[in-house]
Amino acid sequence: MRIWIPGSGIKRDTTKGMAEEKPQRRRIHWIANFQEGWSIYKQNILGRIGLVLLVIFALMALSSFIPPLIDPMYHPMTGVDPVISSSTGPSLKHWLGTDFMGRDILSQLLAGARIAFMVGVSAAFMSIFLGTAIGMISGYMGKFVDTFLMRLAEVIMVMPTLLVTLILAALFGQLSIWAIVLVIALFRWPGVSRVIRAQTLSLKQRPFIEAAKVAGASHFRIIFRHIMPNVLPLSFLYMTFRVTSAITIEAALAFLGFGDPSTVSWGMMLQWVWKTGHMFKAPYWLLPPGICISLITLSFYMLGRAMDEVLDPRLRREG
Amino acid sequence: MDLWRYISRRLVQIVIIFFVILTVLFMVFRLAPGDPITRMVDPDMTPEDAALLISQLGLDQPLHVQYLYYVKNFFVGNFGDSFHYGQPVLDIIKHRLPNTILLFTTSIILSALVGVFLGKIASWHKGKKIDSGMTIGALVTHTLFLPWLALLLIWIFAYKLGWFPITGMVSEDIWLDPTSGLWQKALDVGHHLVLPLGTLFLFHFGSYLLIMRSSMLETLKEDYILTARAKGLTEKVIRNRHAAPNAALPVVTTVGLSLAFSINGGALTETVFTWPGIGRELVFSVSQNDYPLAQATFLLITLVVLISNLVVDVLYAYLDPRIRY
Amino acid sequence: MRWTLSENRFKCLSVLFLVIAIWGCVGLLGSNVMAASIMKIGMKEEPKTLNIWLANDRWSLRILSLIYQPLYYRDPKTLDQVPWLAEALPIYDPATLSYTVKLRPAKWSDGSELTSEDVAFTGNLIKAFKVPRRNAYWKFIEKIETPDRRTVKFYLKQPMAVFLERTLATPIVQKKEWVKVAEEAKGKEKPLASLLQHKVEKPVGSGPYAIKERREGAYLYMEKNKYFFGAGKTIAGQDLGPYIDGIIFKYYGTSDAAVLGLKKGSIDMYWWGIEAGYLEDLKKEKDIQLFSNERSALYYMGFNVRKPPFNDPNLRRAIATLVDKDFIITRILQGHGIKMISIIPPGNRFYHCPDLPTYGDGLSREERVRKAYDILRNAGYDWKVPPVDRSGKVVKGEEVRLPSGQPMEKFMILTPPADYDPARAMSGMIIQEWLKEAGMPASSKPMAFKSLVEQVSVRHDFDAFILGYGRLSLDPDYLRSFFHSSQDKQRGGNKTGYTNPDFDRIADASSRMMDPEKRRELIWDMQKIVMQDVPYVPLYNPNLIEAVRKDKFTGWVQMLEGIGNLWSFCQVKAK
Repeated sequence: MRIWIPGSGIKRDTTKGMAEEKPQRRRIHWIANFQEGWSIYKQNILGRIGLVLLVIFALMALSSFIPPLIDPMYHPMTGVDPVISSSTGPSLKHWLGTDFMGRDILSQLLAGARIAFMVGVSAAFMSIFLGTAIGMISGYMGKFVDTFLMRLAEVIMVMPTLLVTLILAALFGQLSIWAIVLVIALFRWPGVSRVIRAQTLSLKQRPFIEAAKVAGASHFRIIFRHIMPNVLPLSFLYMTFRVTSAITIEAALAFLGFGDPSTVSWGMMLQWVWKTGHMFKAPYWLLPPGICISLITLSFYMLGRAMDEVLDPRLRREG
Repeated sequence: MDLWRYISRRLVQIVIIFFVILTVLFMVFRLAPGDPITRMVDPDMTPEDAALLISQLGLDQPLHVQYLYYVKNFFVGNFGDSFHYGQPVLDIIKHRLPNTILLFTTSIILSALVGVFLGKIASWHKGKKIDSGMTIGALVTHTLFLPWLALLLIWIFAYKLGWFPITGMVSEDIWLDPTSGLWQKALDVGHHLVLPLGTLFLFHFGSYLLIMRSSMLETLKEDYILTARAKGLTEKVIRNRHAAPNAALPVVTTVGLSLAFSINGGALTETVFTWPGIGRELVFSVSQNDYPLAQATFLLITLVVLISNLVVDVLYAYLDPRIRY
Repeated sequence: MRWTLSENRFKCLSVLFLVIAIWGCVGLLGSNVMAASIMKIGMKEEPKTLNIWLANDRWSLRILSLIYQPLYYRDPKTLDQVPWLAEALPIYDPATLSYTVKLRPAKWSDGSELTSEDVAFTGNLIKAFKVPRRNAYWKFIEKIETPDRRTVKFYLKQPMAVFLERTLATPIVQKKEWVKVAEEAKGKEKPLASLLQHKVEKPVGSGPYAIKERREGAYLYMEKNKYFFGAGKTIAGQDLGPYIDGIIFKYYGTSDAAVLGLKKGSIDMYWWGIEAGYLEDLKKEKDIQLFSNERSALYYMGFNVRKPPFNDPNLRRAIATLVDKDFIITRILQGHGIKMISIIPPGNRFYHCPDLPTYGDGLSREERVRKAYDILRNAGYDWKVPPVDRSGKVVKGEEVRLPSGQPMEKFMILTPPADYDPARAMSGMIIQEWLKEAGMPASSKPMAFKSLVEQVSVRHDFDAFILGYGRLSLDPDYLRSFFHSSQDKQRGGNKTGYTNPDFDRIADASSRMMDPEKRRELIWDMQKIVMQDVPYVPLYNPNLIEAVRKDKFTGWVQMLEGIGNLWSFCQVKAK
């Protein structure tokens, strides 16, 4: 897993610099926090670039619905050019050329952006949701629950996600795109849960939690109304990394041939160019999907790094 | 002694985890829907042939009996016979493992060394062009899509320039020729190794660079560095002899902890380059529904990750006296 | 603890980089120290085993076909049976229901004599262990006698046509090599598994080549077998060698690498069909020669006739009419294929029936739609918007309704994924569009190949699919296994669930008919019935295009299924 551990070492308190908050001023604090965070974020050039790139990709994803409406031959999956039935280079009719069956590469690229966002965001969201919940419960409950959950996390973390998904794909014959998302989510929560757990552990000792306990709040309430808001920013930070790993894993799966054959993703496009023997002959087909996967990963990464600076003042550039 | 107790505790943990994975794997394989038994058998076979083969392979026995055989065999070292090759899985793994080890260790060592070295330099010149250049470079190479990077390298260096072979690990010309010596054979393997090694190296050194860089920046703020400066030591000595070794520790940790991730990358690289290693065998066996082989390779990989985690933890605990469990 | 990340380390690294650069250059030198008369052949994948009983993948079978030889082979032009290990055609004795085969003088690659004992041993082994895929052709053999070293007599329990075509094409193994293995295996708890898992390193065969060295994952080196029985002889008008000293087989995971190897000269022949995308490129190379041969294959669309809507033959006929096979051949196969009008490929000249209903063949799109419309209307179908309107103009049809009045439910045409077989995947897509235009709610769904086969063959849970048989044997007994009602079971040959008592009767008779002419008539009748009811709509038979380098070797023999046949391997010689 790609670790962006602020600082180094295993036992580090990551809560230094986190503003303490009082529940009743929470809402106003959030807006203020957000504005402060945004101004810091804006200063980070990497963050700006990342955001711009992401907006471009989002536009790509949104506009993926347009080509088939212009002409059915632009449909990424079933749209064949009535005249062209082999791989050709860029032309007026096909801005990025056609694939080996005569389908438009640009429409495939746009559809791939849509799939990337869908897979990335859903898988990341699910795994963060799971990871945060488990991390909080584990850190708060302690003892048996904690040990059990953390051992479970270790078992899962030890298995390389891609290989596990491969095996599952073979067993279940074929995984639909949503099944792939689910599997990725199920195997990616441990990383986040550890960090959340550490956060929770230190928060547990804070006076305002003690106060809530004395006031008679139930465990459930404490976890979700008091701990969670403090932990969420960290969750979101990790979510950006999870998005990249989800996209990469789906792309790698599709590339190896275990993806969902009825969805057009960038990884699937790479598989087609590789397996149909056009790797050396069609750079207009080989380059775009790879560049897109790499760029979207890069942009989420830059986004994450910039957010990291927002959350952890120690990382901010001096001066 | 503290350390030994720590090691033994971790060992026990590892054994338990491994056993859990073993069992889970067994259950997943046997209980998956869609009758996995039929997938183990060639769909072109007649029903009579298939029935006979199924009973011969012991797939028709009750689940718990199969499980017992499975566990027993495992500890005896009998991983069963590959459906695809018809040979004991152990033989197949034995032949492939050295190839993977060669590729993996060289790539990890190279990328760690270069990453640490360049990260150190980047931190020296923080804020200047070299630093930004290296950081951006590391970020970019680190986020490239690995199989695509491999395809690109093949396209440019093997196809267009023709400097390196496109696939495989050996050239039969050299290996079949009775007059070629060991040196020639080694050179041949090395020749085939360059591109896969290059791919993995490019992909991994970035993260080591970035970690080393931030770690150096942290370390340089520590008190003992201040003391060293006060003592009058030159910057160069301070950086190289005092700060760098300590700063390099997180890289060690990262190497170990990100092993699961690097194995994904290794399997992809081996597949694209047709490098005859364990990773490729796993991918291949999965696509052939060769369950004994897929299981065994997967377990082997998991074992490697577990052990390396242990090694990293112990190494870290040993090297850094501040940390003791 | 101290580490010294000193300048030395930097120097070490630079040395490392230099070394790598040198390695790169070494590659440019290359070395071709092998003798000129060794051919290099590229294969797509590695043979998985050298155990003939386990081998079921084409790579292993190809390598083994150069080693173990059958009693009879086929003439490259006429495809008639030709005595190979046998000396003459088998002599039939109707009184005892037996066949007598005389053997040629022949030796195994270890120098020992090949006798009738080996043939008997092979047959008995297959029967005793019920070896998968082969036992079907031996289980009706009552006993095998060996009156003398050169004569074998087969006694059949009943007349079976497949005896001549399939049983006598079984590769013969050496008793000496296998007798101990068989004994040991019989004593084990799982004899068949034990037999199949016996590791064979250097199989002893009677063929033109023998294995010299094998490096798993890299290459396979075969040397000329000096004891080959055909050396110097002329069989079926072909002068046999082998005239080269050996063959090295290299494995390329992808066609890309192999085609590049062919162009560069690292291999002399690529033993796999060349995909259409490479042809332009290869045609321009002056050192490369392309061969085009027919395959004995069938790619088709199948229906599930067990349940509605495809249990109605009229619907199937209408769909058969709407499929434009010429389009598929010219656009999808780029002209490299022939359309199929029967289950049996036309290359199988003896058994292929030329006189069959052609449905939409040769018609324009409008004519097809009209014809399909007529078929369906007469069968009681109706539409919300008929594809042929009142004035007789062809329009886009909508919502076809079954004779019962209900609108037809959406159905799926399952196809293999596009990267596995672009032709089938694309055919599915195009057929979907054609059917939609006639108002049928079709959708084409690519799915992972193994799941597809499982869903179709095992679970019988599908509406329609597009699959293929890449290698149909010359013996047409497969017609029976595709459509006989007894084969409609899990994993049975009858995927569609077709049941027709007339067909069953004729099929059973054909499998027992030993007289070729009479059998041909029965096979023709079977084809007529099937093409009348169309549980399968045969689509196409792709051509096999193979490429060789012509600068070093010559002498390739073209035959059905390509140039990779025994005649070629026995006759290629260095220029």
